[in-house]
Amino acid sequence: MSAVAYYLESAGIATTGISLVRENTKALRPPRFLWVTFPLGRPLGLPGDAAFQRRVVLAALALLDAPSGPVLEDYPEDVPDLPGDDVFACPVRFPPRASGRGRWGSALLEEIALLRPWYALSRERRGRTTVGVAGTLVETLAERLGALLDAPERLPGTLAELTELKRTLADLRAFHEEAVTAQPGDPPWREVRRLLWRESVLGDAMLTLRDRFDASGDPRLRAFTRVLVPRGALED
Amino acid sequence: MVRLSDLPDYEREHLLDKNLGPLGPPAWVPPGTPLRERRVALVTTAGLHRRSDSAFDLTDASYRVLPGDLGAADLVMSHSSVNFDRSGFAEDVNLVFPIDRFRELAEDDVIGGLASNHFSFMGAGLLPEAYEASARDLARILHRDGVDTAFLTPV
Repeated sequence: MSAVAYYLESAGIATTGISLVRENTKALRPPRFLWVTFPLGRPLGLPGDAAFQRRVVLAALALLDAPSGPVLEDYPEDVPDLPGDDVFACPVRFPPRASGRGRWGSALLEEIALLRPWYALSRERRGRTTVGVAGTLVETLAERLGALLDAPERLPGTLAELTELKRTLADLRAFHEEAVTAQPGDPPWREVRRLLWRESVLGDAMLTLRDRFDASGDPRLRAFTRVLVPRGALED
Repeated sequence: MVRLSDLPDYEREHLLDKNLGPLGPPAWVPPGTPLRERRVALVTTAGLHRRSDSAFDLTDASYRVLPGDLGAADLVMSHSSVNFDRSGFAEDVNLVFPIDRFRELAEDDVIGGLASNHFSFMGAGLLPEAYEASARDLARILHRDGVDTAFLTPV
């Protein structure tokens, strides 16, 4: 982000915007940024709160009047505490995890079948879905992922296969997260994360892949584990 | 909260590892243009693109064009990092790409107007210098569109 700002500004385009990690922005010294304390993934702070988002945007735009720079200003407003996770109810009970059973494909499909009505509700309520990166049905993606997991000796060998795997997982995760947050309101993201990584078959599938890739000794597969499982996956 | 002091050690160390020095002499466009006369483009590094566009590769310094009249339903995310929350983006695209807020600001004459197109990079896995060529290319496109200001959002 800071780099793009720097290069645009040096080409004559005035820049301002949001910084999520103050230390990184300070080090790179881009022209103007407003640092916010909001969680990663939420640079405008609160979903569905237009007034809150507008205040953040206007504070960042105000930096364009600074007489000299670089400018890194701290935004004074925090996001209010989310409602307690106890008020968030997962709409489904996930099927048993498939580890070691050699039936990943069917377990993933069973989970998708449970989630699908909630995903449909999400699409209806939100009027959109963020599923669609891989360009095929999530059931097909689940079968593809299941086939990989059910054959432990089979590991992706090419960059193209890893790129396809990244897109497969992006859609499966989006489907999962949209389904479990189908009901209105700001989803408590830590609980959404806990459900994925602690309870769901999909989370177990990605953790299993991570362990296999780590054990493979292949540097490319080991590097890929960084885009498989987040650093804080099992914190909750 | 992304206060480093609030994060676990491994997360703090990972983020501090990304502290890199300045890219060159300070870049600075002097103020002077009133906000109500500025033509603004949104630029995000959230790995957003139209559903019909090619997804971002694992590492990728190119950008995708987000047409000014793009509807939220046509927007997807193929960011490589898994270390941020996506449920907020699923709930409201403006949380990452505040297009509706900027349409309102244009409507209210707070800003002069919006660019014909907005743009998305995917900020992950590359050193800052990797973005120079595509960012400078983007600057030329913005100038041709009469854009004088870019509003940048990370993810």
